[in-house]
Amino acid sequence: MEQNHTKRQIKVTRNSLFEQGYLDEQFSQLEDLQDEANPNFVKEIVTLFFSDSTRLIRNVENALESYPLDFCKLDDYMHQFMGSSSSIGAKKVKNECTQFQECCKAMNADGCIRAFQRVKQEHAVLKRKLEAYFQVSL
Amino acid sequence: MTVEEIRGSDHEIDRFPIGMRVLAVDDNPTCLKLLEGLLRKCQYHVTTTNQAITALNMLRENRNRFDLVISDVYMPDMDGFKLLELVGLEMDLPVIMLSGNGDRNLVMKGVTHGACDYLVKPVRLEELRNIWQHVIRRKVESKSKNNHEKSDQGKEGGDQNEKLNRKRKDEDTDEENGNESDDPTTKKKARVVWSIDLHRKFVAAINQLGIEKAVPKRILDLMNVDGLTRENVASHLQKYRLYLKRISQQANMVVTFGGNDASSYMRMSPLDGLGDFRTLSCSGRLPNATYAPPGMLGRLNSATGVALHSLTAPPLVQPNHTQTKLQPAVSSNHQNVNLFQGIPPSFDLDQRQYCSKPNTQLTDVSSIDESRIFTGTNLAGFSSIDEPRMFRGSSTFTDPISVLANQAGVKLTSTGAESFNDLSDNSGFLDQNGNQPPNFSSNLNLLPLAESYSYPAVINGGFSSNITTAAAPIEPHGGGLVGDIVQNVNRSLPNQKGGTRSKQDYSQYSQNALTTQATTSALAGYGSLSGPVSHSRPNGGRSIPVQTEQIKLQSGFVSNKSYGSLDDIIPGMMKQEQDTTMPMNGEFGYDPYIDPDREYNDESSL
Repeated sequence: MEQNHTKRQIKVTRNSLFEQGYLDEQFSQLEDLQDEANPNFVKEIVTLFFSDSTRLIRNVENALESYPLDFCKLDDYMHQFMGSSSSIGAKKVKNECTQFQECCKAMNADGCIRAFQRVKQEHAVLKRKLEAYFQVSL
Repeated sequence: MTVEEIRGSDHEIDRFPIGMRVLAVDDNPTCLKLLEGLLRKCQYHVTTTNQAITALNMLRENRNRFDLVISDVYMPDMDGFKLLELVGLEMDLPVIMLSGNGDRNLVMKGVTHGACDYLVKPVRLEELRNIWQHVIRRKVESKSKNNHEKSDQGKEGGDQNEKLNRKRKDEDTDEENGNESDDPTTKKKARVVWSIDLHRKFVAAINQLGIEKAVPKRILDLMNVDGLTRENVASHLQKYRLYLKRISQQANMVVTFGGNDASSYMRMSPLDGLGDFRTLSCSGRLPNATYAPPGMLGRLNSATGVALHSLTAPPLVQPNHTQTKLQPAVSSNHQNVNLFQGIPPSFDLDQRQYCSKPNTQLTDVSSIDESRIFTGTNLAGFSSIDEPRMFRGSSTFTDPISVLANQAGVKLTSTGAESFNDLSDNSGFLDQNGNQPPNFSSNLNLLPLAESYSYPAVINGGFSSNITTAAAPIEPHGGGLVGDIVQNVNRSLPNQKGGTRSKQDYSQYSQNALTTQATTSALAGYGSLSGPVSHSRPNGGRSIPVQTEQIKLQSGFVSNKSYGSLDDIIPGMMKQEQDTTMPMNGEFGYDPYIDPDREYNDESSL
């Protein structure tokens, strides 16, 4: 019974992540890649994402503190962030990164800062949710 | 290597792109991991690195270690395009670019720098499933380059092939490859030409192993040819298997079609016999003239010749034993016709027409004519065939008619073939008319004509009834003659049959035919026919006698079985003829064929 409940819960959690737009189709692809040869593929790659993206966020924060802002560099960072986010299907995070990049292109410092705040926020939310998800599904 | 390994490698080789060795380069760990997962899912062998420089070193260390490189464009230590250039230059490996940015300019840059492909992240599995084509393409290009240059560069390509095969297994093979590639003009590098000798060895190896157990590695070992790779053998084996399949399908068809009596006929008359027939046939007339309808005849001859040969295959001869109906015979003939590979298409068609017609027709004499021709012709061919057969089987010959035609005018008799068909069906032949052609069983409709032909007219010249009627029988013998006769017969038949059948005319023809036929031993069968035929011949009789005699000469076999019945038949045939509209005369369509001297034309169709 508990197991059933857990399974159901997992499913519910997962579905809500999709429904709420935190995850997209790409995440399903990750799940497809998980098989006997790669039993923990999804968890591994998500873990990797978060460790990598945390590092990136730190880099961006540092870059934002310098003056004047190096938009190119920022753009590069965002490019990477975008790459990783899209790879795991982190939809909302990816969208915020796009916004950030727009500001960079526009050389909009304030815009960049604000956009980045949102990126961090979405990133944190997703992390929480996926951690919960994986804990349950483990 | 162990058997398993070998097999495994063979297996891999055979199953390329499975096991293709890919080097993935991306500084983004998440993306790299995803890429790795995707490539593994495609069953490629993946090596990853997040540094372009590392990748380059790995490649430089052993260019044969990888088949394909996938690289991100934006990398901290080196620009992706630069890496692309270097790899292309130094190692001549296919490189696929990867980027989160699908900007057209970037894509263009990638292409101009020599990238095989440019993928945009996130990459999908489907896209990666197809990347192996770049490897093949590169190899093909290299090989052709090799052929031209025989340079080391070329070797790369060839080596790549080697690589594919060997690398999979283990590093050791790399050395082999290396060694082999040292020789610039190693076969490996160059495209393998499967010469006759090589192919012989290949086939010998396969036979030795047994087709089921023939795996490339073993074949390769048995062949013991330097420079030949498993991959070469594997691809060649694949082609060979397809070829075998195709052949067996054809064979099946042949068997299916020709399996019947006809085939037996054919067999009976060995090709040689056919050849004889041909000559016999119609004293020359038939073979070419072949009573077959104008176009057909000509074709028949040739076709028959061919057909005959091919006839051996059942198809032609198929005895239409449908005896009860010519039609069936006809159809079978058709098939036969088709089967005759050797038979010229036109011929086949014609034949078929004949065949079909006659058989089906009998009622339609005209149509039969054609068939008769076949039958007749068949008979001709039958020279070797037993007489009885001739008569009988002829129906099947329909196609063979052409054969027959060649063989002896008999074919023509096909026209009468219809009658023959009936006859050939042997008995079935008469059915139509109500008579049973006695032995017409020989498809030869020709012969049957005489016998079964109910064609009364036909009998005339033996064939005269042409074809439809046994009349033809006489002709068939002659091979050519028969046909002629048949035609004549046919033509005359109408006359005769209807009572108007001018047997006489017919006989004339038949006579001629007979005579010719007589000469043609092909008629052999007919010979006997003639005998009977003559007796029965309604036609002028005068001719008949002649003919019959001749026929006798010719057909030894004809008489056999059915002849005895010929007498019976003839009357029967005559009846049939009467019954059936003996369109034969003109309908046979022999016209064209007919002997120029003859006056077939009197009948209309003639």
